[in-house]
Amino acid sequence: MTKSKPRKKSAKKKKARNTKRNFSLSALLFNRYTFTGLTVFVFLFAGYMAYLNIKITEKMSGRIWSLPSHVYARPLELYQGKYLTIEQFKSELQQLGYVQLKSRPSKAGQYRILNNSHFEIISRDFSFWDGKQKSQGFRLNILNNEISVLHQLYSDETLSIFRMEPVKIAGIYPSTRQERQLIKLDEVPDDMVLALLAVEDRRFYQHWGIDPRSILRALLANFMAGGTVQGGSTLTQQLVKNLFLSPERTLTRKINEALMALLLEINYSKSVILETYINEVYLGQSGAQQIHGFELASQYYFANSLRKLRRDQMAMLVGLVKGPSWYAPRRHPKRAKDRRDQVLKLMHEQGALTQAQLNKYKKLDLGLSSKPRFSANRFPALIDLVKRQLKRDYNEDDLKSSGLKVFTSIDPIIQSQAEASVKRVISQLENSNHSVSDLQTSLIVASSQQGEIQAMVSDRKPEFPGFNRSLDAIRQIGSLIKPAIYLTALQQPGKYTLASRLDDSPLHIKTAKEQLWSPQNYDKKFTGDILLIEALKKSRNVPTVRLGLEVGLSDISDTLHNLGVKRKIPTYPSMTLGAFNLSPFDVANMYQTFAANGFNVPLKVIREVLNKDGQPLKRYPLKSDKAIDEKAIYLVNHVLHGVTRTGTARSLAKALPQSLAGKTGTTDDLRDSWFAGFSDNQLAVAWIGRDDNSSTGLTGSSGALRLWTDLFRHLNIQSFSPDRPAGINNRWIDGSSGGLSEKNCQGAVELPFIQGSEPTEKAECKSAGIIDQIIHFFN
Amino acid sequence: MQISWNYRSNNTLLQLIPVKHLLVFLFVLLVFTGCAQLKPATVKSTESILPVADSVKLPDVIKTLLAKSDTQYFDDNFTGSLATLERAVRINPRHAEVWSRMAQVYLKLGNEEQAIQHAKRSNSVIKNNIRLKAFNNEIITSNSLKKSQEMSN
Repeated sequence: MTKSKPRKKSAKKKKARNTKRNFSLSALLFNRYTFTGLTVFVFLFAGYMAYLNIKITEKMSGRIWSLPSHVYARPLELYQGKYLTIEQFKSELQQLGYVQLKSRPSKAGQYRILNNSHFEIISRDFSFWDGKQKSQGFRLNILNNEISVLHQLYSDETLSIFRMEPVKIAGIYPSTRQERQLIKLDEVPDDMVLALLAVEDRRFYQHWGIDPRSILRALLANFMAGGTVQGGSTLTQQLVKNLFLSPERTLTRKINEALMALLLEINYSKSVILETYINEVYLGQSGAQQIHGFELASQYYFANSLRKLRRDQMAMLVGLVKGPSWYAPRRHPKRAKDRRDQVLKLMHEQGALTQAQLNKYKKLDLGLSSKPRFSANRFPALIDLVKRQLKRDYNEDDLKSSGLKVFTSIDPIIQSQAEASVKRVISQLENSNHSVSDLQTSLIVASSQQGEIQAMVSDRKPEFPGFNRSLDAIRQIGSLIKPAIYLTALQQPGKYTLASRLDDSPLHIKTAKEQLWSPQNYDKKFTGDILLIEALKKSRNVPTVRLGLEVGLSDISDTLHNLGVKRKIPTYPSMTLGAFNLSPFDVANMYQTFAANGFNVPLKVIREVLNKDGQPLKRYPLKSDKAIDEKAIYLVNHVLHGVTRTGTARSLAKALPQSLAGKTGTTDDLRDSWFAGFSDNQLAVAWIGRDDNSSTGLTGSSGALRLWTDLFRHLNIQSFSPDRPAGINNRWIDGSSGGLSEKNCQGAVELPFIQGSEPTEKAECKSAGIIDQIIHFFN
Repeated sequence: MQISWNYRSNNTLLQLIPVKHLLVFLFVLLVFTGCAQLKPATVKSTESILPVADSVKLPDVIKTLLAKSDTQYFDDNFTGSLATLERAVRINPRHAEVWSRMAQVYLKLGNEEQAIQHAKRSNSVIKNNIRLKAFNNEIITSNSLKKSQEMSN
């Protein structure tokens, strides 16, 4: 204890001495606390910088942007003899954003029309699935709705075929709804870079991400003006703000912006920073889509690639950086022009333009394209189908962010006809009968032989993106089932032919639940015996049920699956009258097999997919499956043609001159009105019903057939005339008994038979009257 | 001695061959000539593209696409060749030559099932082109046989 006191004193003295010395040095830095504080600060700062650095490098080394996928329509193929109206071609050019001139076109994306039928066009470069197609000038003449001449623009050399680039019809967007098209720095014109740097950051190549001189200059300018009139941010800072930070104006954000700009400059070259900026910058709005990057802006405002812009157009784009909404050129052309002229002046000051060029460019108008090249999804039902088919091969994230280019078979010309038909006919039906209201509809159009979906409408308001009735409205199909039943029977030529006699008398069936079912014909009458061909043509219910039960319900189900129906088919007796549910898309799949003479081609809408760089990823080739015997299907198609001449769809014979085939369908209480039909080149399925499944008051003939007819009146259709397969022989048959007859006998009809199944029994021949002979002659 | 070619002359060639024999000879010759025309073209190798002679009646646009497809085919770009043929089918699906070439390209792609199906489609729209039909039938039979052998193994 005694020893400890002096030690304490000496310690106190020492401490006092040290303190005195520290204060005397006045060097806070060496103060223990200050030092510790500083060390902690340095560590924290370093840690924070490391955190920011990771944030930057992670983003920059990975996928910087979510690129939306784009959906393209079919490319319009041009060749001599192609059906194309002048209006259709004009519409196609407008949708592609081509600029109409009065003088001869000189650049890609321009055209002129002479004498309202002669087109001179310079197409754009385009990367198709099978390679890049270079821009080409050509002349095209349309005469009587056909291409009569297709020549090169500057010579008389004929072009046998030319493929226009496809119209971009939709985008599959990430949640940010940012639209952008990437461009590499070495593809950006030098004048564009010069203009950008002249306006936004003249000392870009001198500073390290922050430019104190610019900040001071901006501060001074703002102080003098009493508000914010000038920004001191470098391009790097702007990029940091856009990529990593929120737009709020706080000191913290400003500090972060400066630190990150510095880090970005340490990690990446000026070229990388500039290229990223050029692709990132926000330059406008198209509906819900944000336009990002100069390349996309160039296409949006000028319908042309950045590389092909004039210098005044580049100046306009650079001018937009300051305020894309304020200077929006389509809304505020005067403001936009003034701003463009300012940029041109700066370019002149930088030596990029001579005085003469400056004067020349200032006199030009903005040169905007007539219409934006893309808009919001105009075909919601079709795009829904595209997405569903894509999801089989791509996950949702890839679809929304990988910038896929999806090429489809969608035909905007046919789609617009289908939409017009839906609007016209639905309103006609409701106006002509006031008890009919709230009708809904689906209309699907495909190419008969290739099974490619060309158009689809799923709502009476086609642009409404709601319930997709074409795919998801699962409704009873009524008499649309009948061709499948008759096909099942006719595949047994030893047992059934078109001249077989079917029983059309009252029928009572005990169902599995011990209930009695008595099917009725639509007219509530019975005809006794009826030839098989007539039973189908006139859509008789009772003989069809009998036939269905004879051939077997499971065999009918197999036939439906062979025809392309994927759903499970119930095997109860009333299924023979279509008392089971299919979607319009299922029905289209089924009837496509009839249209393609027994080859089932699963309906598809996607042709090819490319990645964001235009490299091929996947093709969806045409695939066929010979599902049904061609002879049996030939017989059924013969009857389906008869349906449109003298059967339940006989109104078609008057409405359209072409040979067609099809079948009407009506369900109980007139809930569903169907028509499925085809020509040689087009197949369409029309459905009209109500969402609450109540009665429409329409039969297949009075509803869906009218819609189908209206559409086909506006399409280029070729007569359905299938080649008669080998092993089919025609015979003259007595129309009432089905026995063999002769051409000149009364009531004789000529029918096709599978070889060996021809009737052998002769019918009594009464000589045909003069009227019958005249009818035969014309037939 | 002066040789007379009068058929009444004793030295004429015709008199050396009995008329009956000559008629039989002519008949056989005709039959053989006919058979030579009708004889199906044998497909020596599936490497070869269809004879162009069959395409003479095709419209220019189809010929152009067939020529492009051939170029792609010989460059071993079979999917490109198929895509070009699909363009031709979209323009007019009634040209049997196009379907037949698609069958051939499918063979190259190793898809025998689709080769058979496309050969059948070609046959379904064929008019009077016997050579083409024989070509398609060769694809159908040889590959159906191959398939059934593979299945039995």
